[in-house]
Amino acid sequence: MTNLTIPIAGKRPKESGPGLRAGQRGFVIGAMTPLMAYMIFFSLLPMLWAVVLSFFDYTPARAGSGPLGLGGANPFVGLGNYAAMFSQSQPARVFRLAVVNTFTFAMLVLPLNLLITLPLAVLVESVHDRIKGLFRAIYFLPTISSSVAVALMWGYIFHPQQGLLNTLIKQVGLTPPKAWLTDPSAAVFGVPLAMIAVIIAYLWQDFGYNLVIFIAALQGIPRELRDAVRVDGANAWQEFWSITLPLLRPTMLFVCVLTMLSSLQVFVIFQVMTTGGPRDQTTPLVMNIYESAFRFQEMGWAAANAMVLFLIMLGITILQFRFLRTDWEY
Amino acid sequence: MAASSSSLSVSSTPQPRAGRSLVQVAVYSVLLLGTAVTLVPFLWMLFSSLKPASEIVKIPPTFLPEKWTFQSYQTIFNDERIPLTRFYFNSLFVAGARVGITLFTSSLAGYIFAKYRFWGRNVAFALILAQLMIPFQIIMIPVYLILVNLHLIDSLWGLIIPSMVDAFGIFLMRQFVESIPNDLMDAARIDGASEFGIYWRIVLPQLGSALAALGIFTFMATWNDYLWPLIVITTHERRTLPLLLTWYNAQQTSRYDLTMAASVLVLLPILVVYMFFQRWIVRGVAMTGFK
Repeated sequence: MTNLTIPIAGKRPKESGPGLRAGQRGFVIGAMTPLMAYMIFFSLLPMLWAVVLSFFDYTPARAGSGPLGLGGANPFVGLGNYAAMFSQSQPARVFRLAVVNTFTFAMLVLPLNLLITLPLAVLVESVHDRIKGLFRAIYFLPTISSSVAVALMWGYIFHPQQGLLNTLIKQVGLTPPKAWLTDPSAAVFGVPLAMIAVIIAYLWQDFGYNLVIFIAALQGIPRELRDAVRVDGANAWQEFWSITLPLLRPTMLFVCVLTMLSSLQVFVIFQVMTTGGPRDQTTPLVMNIYESAFRFQEMGWAAANAMVLFLIMLGITILQFRFLRTDWEY
Repeated sequence: MAASSSSLSVSSTPQPRAGRSLVQVAVYSVLLLGTAVTLVPFLWMLFSSLKPASEIVKIPPTFLPEKWTFQSYQTIFNDERIPLTRFYFNSLFVAGARVGITLFTSSLAGYIFAKYRFWGRNVAFALILAQLMIPFQIIMIPVYLILVNLHLIDSLWGLIIPSMVDAFGIFLMRQFVESIPNDLMDAARIDGASEFGIYWRIVLPQLGSALAALGIFTFMATWNDYLWPLIVITTHERRTLPLLLTWYNAQQTSRYDLTMAASVLVLLPILVVYMFFQRWIVRGVAMTGFK
């Protein structure tokens, strides 16, 4: 924290700056006024509204008496929606399960993703330039594909009888699971089998993104540093641990934060592959928000759910910055 | 510098030749395995779409079709419930409008933030920063309620209007505009160009590659978007392609030849875009960290 207090104010351009001339002022006002009006209406208003909504028992099915349809038939309940999260009601149980599911998913996806992408990036970076581009292009292919099509495809691959995966498992002489996506009692180390199946599909679709970022970061490490340590007699493994990995720390932070945030927001692949089942074992938070708000029309409750998701995302991001921040430059 | 580093790297590889080539074999084996894992699911999808209905239900399934056929595609093309051109138009219209609008608002706001100091600049910037930090899922309920009030539910415009200003795009453009020398703009000013004229004729042409990257990303994100269209669109004819795909899948349980063919049809345009712009896209991700 201390390094943030280094006085840099002197270097900053003065905000008032040279005054705008009449023509410039007209241009800036003309462009920024509609832009800011739009931002207030479609960004700031929804943010505040989302917070306010979480304190009301609101459903669009009832007409409220106050502004935004709040009040009257849609009464203010204070922290009621938040307190209800700890109750024994069915929605509260599904919500808590969704929190656990979302955490399970994100906590498994992040390390598995890094375990695949970082070594793979080192390997891709080590081959000849022309082939490097080809591998990179192929590995990136799943990330640009439509999530719905990818999820349908993987749902088919995981089909117990007609699917590709179980056929392959049988061919090597092993016994495949009876049902990947629909058996509520199947679990590996306490993680539902359906969750594992979705994680596999998600990793497949998502790994190319971090891979490309790691490759770019590796290319940015000065050749001299790596050569220097080699001259000192280090082998490839030592070079990776003592030079490459420490210098990748800023990239690591970036990749960890983004991978975490996007996996906490996961929705489509679950919606299409499992629709949350079996027995809500694969319902992530966003699906719960979607279902509560748009299927059951309980928008106050759903808004409170969304606030929890936001706080989780904020908390994890702050934690990651604490642990992975670095002041090194090269 | 380059010469010294290359001479260093030659002297710093003392391993024997046989060991090195063994390492090379191992490296390429892993990379090829990765390639197989990446491509086999796509091939599975493609080959399944080219099997006849009688073959798709076979247990154990075949990987390559025993009999190659376009039956499933014909079934889809001939299905009256699926006016395909209509759905392609819906997706193209929404993606095209969002690309055009996003490029315009991002570059204009990016230019103003980079080159003008004005009253309220910091507040405006903070507002845009806030949008960048708050995911859409958090505010989608109020945005939906706003659209209800504007009577934009179940309209393609409901997919366009809430995302006309993109905070990430503005940041990206501001960064690129900052590198354009002020002299260029001042010269145009002396020649009597208007401020908008400077933006349009001097700044925009300089932003070519950044605009292309942002445009491609916006196009792909919109083309593949699912959650928001699922909420907004209710009429069948107004569905975008991903919505059509899940709807069609729900009609055709266990007819995987048909759902895979439909999936191929949805993937195809984006694959074509990727083939042409692959270098730009991959470089753009590495450059901007866009997701």
